[in-house]
Amino acid sequence: MPRDEYQRQLRRLREGVLEMSDRVCERLEQALAALETQDENLATAVITGDHAINERYLELEQACIELVALQQPVASDLRVVAASFKIITDLERIADLAVNLAEYARRAERRRYADVDIGYIGERVVEMVEAAMAAYADDDAVGARDVAAEDDEIDRRCESASEFVVRDLLETELEAEIGLTPDALSDEVSRMLLTIRDLERVGDHAVNIAARTLYMVENDDELIY
Amino acid sequence: MGLDAPTGSLQTTDETVAEPESTTETRAGTEPESIALEARDLDVYYGDDQALQSIDMEIPEGEVTALIGPSGCGKSTFLRCINRMNDLIDIARVDGDLHFNGKNVYDDDVDPVALRRKIGMVFQKPNPFPKSIRDNVAFGLRVQGRDENVDAKVEQALERAALLEEVEDQLDSSGLDLSGGQQQRLCIARAIAPDPEVLLMDEPASALDPIATAKIEELIEELSEEYTVVVVTHNMQQAARISDKTAVFLTGGELVEFDDTEKIFENPEHDRVEDYITGKFG
Repeated sequence: MPRDEYQRQLRRLREGVLEMSDRVCERLEQALAALETQDENLATAVITGDHAINERYLELEQACIELVALQQPVASDLRVVAASFKIITDLERIADLAVNLAEYARRAERRRYADVDIGYIGERVVEMVEAAMAAYADDDAVGARDVAAEDDEIDRRCESASEFVVRDLLETELEAEIGLTPDALSDEVSRMLLTIRDLERVGDHAVNIAARTLYMVENDDELIY
Repeated sequence: MGLDAPTGSLQTTDETVAEPESTTETRAGTEPESIALEARDLDVYYGDDQALQSIDMEIPEGEVTALIGPSGCGKSTFLRCINRMNDLIDIARVDGDLHFNGKNVYDDDVDPVALRRKIGMVFQKPNPFPKSIRDNVAFGLRVQGRDENVDAKVEQALERAALLEEVEDQLDSSGLDLSGGQQQRLCIARAIAPDPEVLLMDEPASALDPIATAKIEELIEELSEEYTVVVVTHNMQQAARISDKTAVFLTGGELVEFDDTEKIFENPEHDRVEDYITGKFG
């Protein structure tokens, strides 16, 4: 087959993106576990480990630039490079959101809103990222569309969780009733809302990955807009 | 300006054929585009060997159409069919129709010399005559007996070919003294001086360095504002850069895909085209 080295570079790029996604999902799961268990060491590991994700992102970005500059990919090859270039940005941002979650876990104990099922939403968004990356790995347009469909459910759950927290805040008569100072309550409420928002954003990034995958496989931009 | 505007008709040996209203819808289905050239079921043989198979293609007016494909696929053969340059090859035989302004250029009453006034050609290797720059450009005009205002027409052709500024003080110097890139632009000036409607270019930049190539590519885009340009190139990135439409010929003289250049290079319909342009074969 002609252009063997070029084909090897394309394969290495895709393998590299998949390997980066494995690391990012691992970080995300660790951040969720830290939130659940208040494990400060685990949270710190997520935060300090972000540097390695950023380095990997820059390496893959450079690989995309070199492929374009030196190999001039076209057609499906060009779509692989263009999609990969965008997907690594989404993965890097998911890793940043994992850092946010780890920081929330370090800051304080979740006491008041233990019933808000952050764990379930977290599992679902991790699954979405994994499913989007599986679609990327397998050139699976159906899988990519399924990820986008899943996001509506995540959005509903996040909205419902946010409403619960805000409503509770409005109905609370503070210290006398729950034994929390206004500052402590404010901190816990803002942390909960940010946690919910960040998980919802992870779902959005999963949809972005699915959208770029669909473009890569079928040259279809329906999910991008 | 001052050059005669294209007449929209083809002089035959005994008559002038009126231009038909030939249009088609664009791929986006918006504005209709005029068709300059139309091949219908065109076969070409060299002796017993078939070089082109049943080519159907509509080349739009005022755009750049690139012909790409591996060596021996028939793209240059197709280009040379358009102005009947294959007539010069004894063993070449053409079946089917190739319409220019609604007239089959292979009809018995078409004069190939008159045809080539309307359809100029530029070759891979610059081939200026061993004459002055002025006489090179004026050559076609003088052959046609169009001797009025020759100097002005020469300057206009050189300007259109983006060469005037570089040679205006040496119009009586030999064309052979110019650099390769300048010689090719001189040949382009010579081809457009008689004011053709179509310019055929057979790998016009393949013998040039990157800077001269860039000038030719820029020139091709500018020329397409006034002429229909059909260009054969082995350089796929060049086809992608300069053309509006791309035709992909593959081995055996088959036109496999013809579409907007963006479509060909982003998402071709045919796997064979995808494999060719991505370098998986050929």
